[in-house]
Order: sequence, then C-alpha cells, then structure tokens
Amino acid sequence: MNPELQRNLWLEASPSRLILIAGLLLLVFAAASVAPRGLATPSGAALALYWFLAVLWGTRSAAQSVVVEIRERTWDSQKLSSITPWDMVWGKLFGATAANWFGALICLPVILLHAASEAGVASALTYGGILLALGIFAQSVALLSSLVLIRRNTGNWRLDIFLCQVAGVGAAFTYYSLWSSVPAFERSGTASIDWWGHAFNLTSFHLVSLLLFLAWALVGCWRAMRAELRFANGPYVWLAYLFYGAVYCAGFESWIGPRVNMPQTVDPVAAKLALAGLSLLAATYSMAFLEPKDPVRLRWLGEQVRAGRFYQAFLALDCWMLSYGASFAVGLVLAGLWAENGQAAFTVLAVLGFLTRDVAIFVLMQGRAGGRGDFAALGILGALYLLVPTLLAGLHLQALNFLVMPSGVTAAIAAWLEGAACAYLALSRIAR
Amino acid sequence: MIEIRELIFEYPGHRALAGITLDIVKGSITALVGPNGAGKTTLLRCMAALETPYAGHVTINGLDTRQAPRAIHAGLGYLPDFFGLYDALTVRRCLHYAARAHGLSPSAAPAAAEAAAARVGLSDRLEQAAGALSRGLRQRLAIAQTIVHRPTVLLLDEPAAGLDPQARRDLSNLLLSLRDGGMTLVVSSHILAELEDYCDRMVIVDHGRIAGGESITLKSGARLRIRLATPRGDLKEFLEAQGVAVVESGSDHAVAGAPADAGARAKLLASLVQAGFAVADFTENTRALEEVYFSQTGGRT
Repeated sequence: MNPELQRNLWLEASPSRLILIAGLLLLVFAAASVAPRGLATPSGAALALYWFLAVLWGTRSAAQSVVVEIRERTWDSQKLSSITPWDMVWGKLFGATAANWFGALICLPVILLHAASEAGVASALTYGGILLALGIFAQSVALLSSLVLIRRNTGNWRLDIFLCQVAGVGAAFTYYSLWSSVPAFERSGTASIDWWGHAFNLTSFHLVSLLLFLAWALVGCWRAMRAELRFANGPYVWLAYLFYGAVYCAGFESWIGPRVNMPQTVDPVAAKLALAGLSLLAATYSMAFLEPKDPVRLRWLGEQVRAGRFYQAFLALDCWMLSYGASFAVGLVLAGLWAENGQAAFTVLAVLGFLTRDVAIFVLMQGRAGGRGDFAALGILGALYLLVPTLLAGLHLQALNFLVMPSGVTAAIAAWLEGAACAYLALSRIAR
Repeated sequence: MIEIRELIFEYPGHRALAGITLDIVKGSITALVGPNGAGKTTLLRCMAALETPYAGHVTINGLDTRQAPRAIHAGLGYLPDFFGLYDALTVRRCLHYAARAHGLSPSAAPAAAEAAAARVGLSDRLEQAAGALSRGLRQRLAIAQTIVHRPTVLLLDEPAAGLDPQARRDLSNLLLSLRDGGMTLVVSSHILAELEDYCDRMVIVDHGRIAGGESITLKSGARLRIRLATPRGDLKEFLEAQGVAVVESGSDHAVAGAPADAGARAKLLASLVQAGFAVADFTENTRALEEVYFSQTGGRT
C-alpha cells in the first residue's frame, strides 16, 4: 500500500472514529425518516451531509494534509522520502479525507435511491458521478491551494487552511450552481450549448467540463508536489493549461456572440481571441497573487538571461511570468486584428500597460506589510480600480479616468507610463 | 564524499552563505559550530538538497544537489533542529512509515523498524505513542527515523539540544557507532565541550563563511596553550619547524597539539625560550576548543 495513504489511514480512519461517523449518520437518517412531512427527508439530509462531509469538511482535511505537516515540522522528512509526487498526492488526497469519504459514501446511496425513484436510474447514476467528481474536485482544489500557499511561507496556518477551504468550496459551489441552472435552461428551451460552433448537450457538457477541470486540478497538485519534492517542473504543463483555458473560454464565443448582439464589425476570430485573453488575464492575476515572487530567485533569473542562458531561464520561469507572457502575446495579436478600429486597439494596449503595472506592484509588495505584501498589493489594486474612479466621479474629474481605466489612446499612454515606472521600481528592487 | 564549492545562498536582503568551500571525508564526523545565524542550518539544508543555492554547488557521492536531489535524498538522513513526530502513532508505526517512505519494501520495513529502534535503545517502547515519549526519547526516535533506511550520510542539526547529560553521552556513543558502521556524519552543535568526544573535525561557520578558511582536526590528543608576553609574527612557523601541529595561532598566542610525553614538552618550552620568545603561558588546555572558537569568531556568543 502507498505508505502515505497507510499513514493517513492510521491517523484519520481509526475504527472508533468510523463507527462513530456511521452511527451518527444512521441516527440522522432515522430521525429524518420519522420527521413531519416537509421538515426533512432522509435524501435531503443525506445530500446536506454529503456536502458537509465531502466538500465543507473534506476541503479542510485535504488542506490540512499539507499545512499541518509544516506546522508540526514533519514536512522536511516527507520531502526527503522516496515517495513519488503522485503517490504523495493521492495518498494525502484520499488518506487525509478517508473519514470524510467513509461518511459521504454512506450518504450517497440514500441520495441516489431517491434520485432513481424520481428521475430514473440513468439520471441518478449521472447525478452520483457529478457528486463524486464534485467532492474530489473541491478537495483537489483545496490541496492544490495548500501546496501553492505553503510556498509563500506565511506562517499563518489557520488563515492558510481557511483560504484553501474557501478555494475548494468556492470551486465546488461555482460548478454546482452552473449544474443546478441546467433545468432552468432546459425549461427555457435551451437544451444545448454552442461551443466552437458545435451544439453539445448541456448535461454532458457540464459533466465533461467538470471531469476535465478535475483532471487539471490533479495535474496541478502533482506538479506542485513535484516542486516540493525538489523535482524540476519546467514550463510546459502550465503552458498547456493556459492553452486549454484559452481554448475552453474562446469556444463560448459562438454561444455568447448571438446573445449579446455583438456588432457586425467585430470579427469572430478577434472575439474568440478576446475571450482567450480574458482567461489568460485571470491566470496572470491569480498566479501573481498566489506565487512567491522571491527577489533572490528573480535576480538569479536575471543573471541567467544576462549570461545568455536563455533556455535555462525559460525552464525556470514561474507560472505568473508565463501567464503574463501569454497574455501579452495574445493582447498584441488582438491589437493588430483591431488595428483598423483604433479605439479598441488602444484599449487592448492600455489593458496590457495596466497589467504590467499591476504585476510590478505584486513584485514590489513582496515581503512587505509584515509578510502580507500580496494582500497589500490586492488592496492597492482595489483602490486603483474601485476607489479612485469613484473619487474622480465625486470630484467631477472623470476626464482623469484614463489614469486608471483602460479606454482609448490617452489611457494607453498613461497605462504604459505607469507600467514602465512600476516595472523600473520592481527591477531596481530585485537588482539590490 | 561531500564536496562543497563556493557555495552562496541568499535570503531576501541577507546573504546567509558567502562562498563556502569544504570537503568532508567518508566515514568521519564533522562538527559545524558557530554563532546563531552564522549559516549552519542553511549549510546543512543545502547539503540535504532541501534548498537550492544561489551559486556554487554541493556534491555528495558525486551527485550534485541541484541536478539529482532525489537521488541524494535516497542515501541521506537529515534531522532538523526543530523536528516533528506523528504523535498519535506508536513508535513502531512511526518507524515503519519512515522505512516505507524511504523505499523499503513492505516485507523489509518491519525488520528495519525494529533494527532502528534497537540501535537507539527504543526496543522496549515500540508500542508506546510518540507523543507520550520524553524529550530525550523523542530525539532518539527522530534519529531512528533518519537512519532506518541505512543512509550513507547523516546530517544532524543540534541533535544534543535539550538533552540531559546521560542522553548526550548516549547520543555521542550512538554517533560514534554509526560512524564506525561506515556512515559519514555532519553535526551542528553549540556544545563545544562534547565535540571532541565524538567529532573528527570541526568547521567554524561565521557570517556565512568558514572561519579560518578550513576545517580543524580534532581528536589529536592534548593541546597546549602558548601565550607570549611580547608578540612575534613567527610563532607559528617556529612551532611547525619543531614538528608541532598548530591548530590556531596569532602573533601573541598559539594553540597546538601537545607532544606526547613530558620530556618533549620541556624540550619545546626550552627551545621557545632559547629562540627569544617571551613565553608567559605554556599549559595543557582542556578548553582549547572553546578558545579556538572564540578566537575565530571574535569572542561573540
């Protein structure tokens, strides 16, 4: 047996604990079955408990599987072990959550029996698959978040675990709310979704999307664990994910386009590229916030470039750098496609300028504010994008909006001046 | 065995290691000493391939820590200064997990766990929870976990910290037995008085560098402390010309290996006086190691 799984089972799935969980669940189901009609049903209670056990508590267990190792100072010995990154990932993912899954799998048949009686066996099995995938997805996202957060070395393990839990639960709820909206779409006559010009059954599309994002979350865990276990990762997996995300988002153009009355002048290719660009922007901001931006490492990268070791530097690039580069490349192509429409092209260039400024702010704030520089950077960006425009509007100075909002030629110039200034300050700090 | 060349390691705003070059021979025990914050732990972590240096390299058994960290981990044991244990697991399960985690097969792990427990004197505690062990016993269990896979290199960061005198003596004996079994050990310690009991060489780390530029041989018998009333720059050369190994010296003092018999010492003293050295002190020094340490580190603690 995978030693990490076995150790977690020893710690998390003691017979007394499992008996306690099973006993409590059976009591709840019994109570729900005799409760007054309309108050509670066994299937309703089972669904609520499934969410609690697999998602709410499960994400906490998954996040703790790494963060507690650091708190208890056992992480170094794990890093020195011979356990492979993948064994470590699934050993933690299913071992640390063993008690959660024991309870969740007791709930699942109760949910499915009710679903089968309502909508048939096939629908019940699909629903069961969704619930299982959703639980694993939430826990994978929490584990992945914990592996990213420990690199930031915040020292605040309670906050770290909470943030990971929020990420996992948030991912699950986001997906589930989309899934729950399928019947509403079907009732309104929309049983399919157009993606890259092809019509897909909504239910199937949701399920496949969930499985693909689950696969990427597991790949992310594996990659982050590799880094922890001192394997060199290289940039290609992250680039593949960026490509996947961009293609996935761009495909919705054929569904969104007809619904938002897009002007005839907007080229569908440019519209797809814009959607892809949005996914890249989201990846850049996310990773610029999450990843450590160690000045020593950045200086080392700079020295590799100065010494002409470009490939070695490329192999060592962080995810936020790759995402920034991809965003920049897509933005330039988009600006080129929209060259005839000067306003749109300059808006894209302004977005790139502000992106440069914002990434530089994340680098500049690293290590400041008592180790919470990334949160301070988020605060600065929040002020720039929300408070300053409000203030300008209040003072009837909307003419100065170009300083903070990407729109038009003046904004592009201002954005790039701000971006260049912040980048200069960030590079100066790295060089010190 | 362990080869360190021009090793530089930086934390943001602070250079922890500033170009360390060091060779550690196979089957030896090397002590790393130095003030708090000198860079000892960082040096150990670089050797354990847990940190990537800014520049320079560390090779262990010909493997570079940057190129092959996992291969190095397979043949290495490392005990951090602040280690943790799985308190809810029994000693047997802790050791079984450590054995399996280091690649031992399910059939070999139980025997390896029992052998490691026997080596550190925990055979009678195998069914006790790790969390119920005393400080000294926890230390032994932690060491047992690091040696359960029989590594060729063992790195211990402050292993004697917090131990009572008996536990320290047991630790010394354990380290000597591991070395005699062919293991190469590097031990960081603040307890200078005990280093000579089990260490072959001492490396003083200060401000991220090796003080004096090289390691110091220990266990070379008694040491003499020679102090001059009038400083002379040729003291070291004179002593070496007399066939005396100089451990550390300045213009007004020297710490040197003491000749074996009293006659030879008398002869050395006479030759110093005859050569015109104003000898103010010529004594066997049981605290020579501390003097070397404070001399190299400028007397800071």
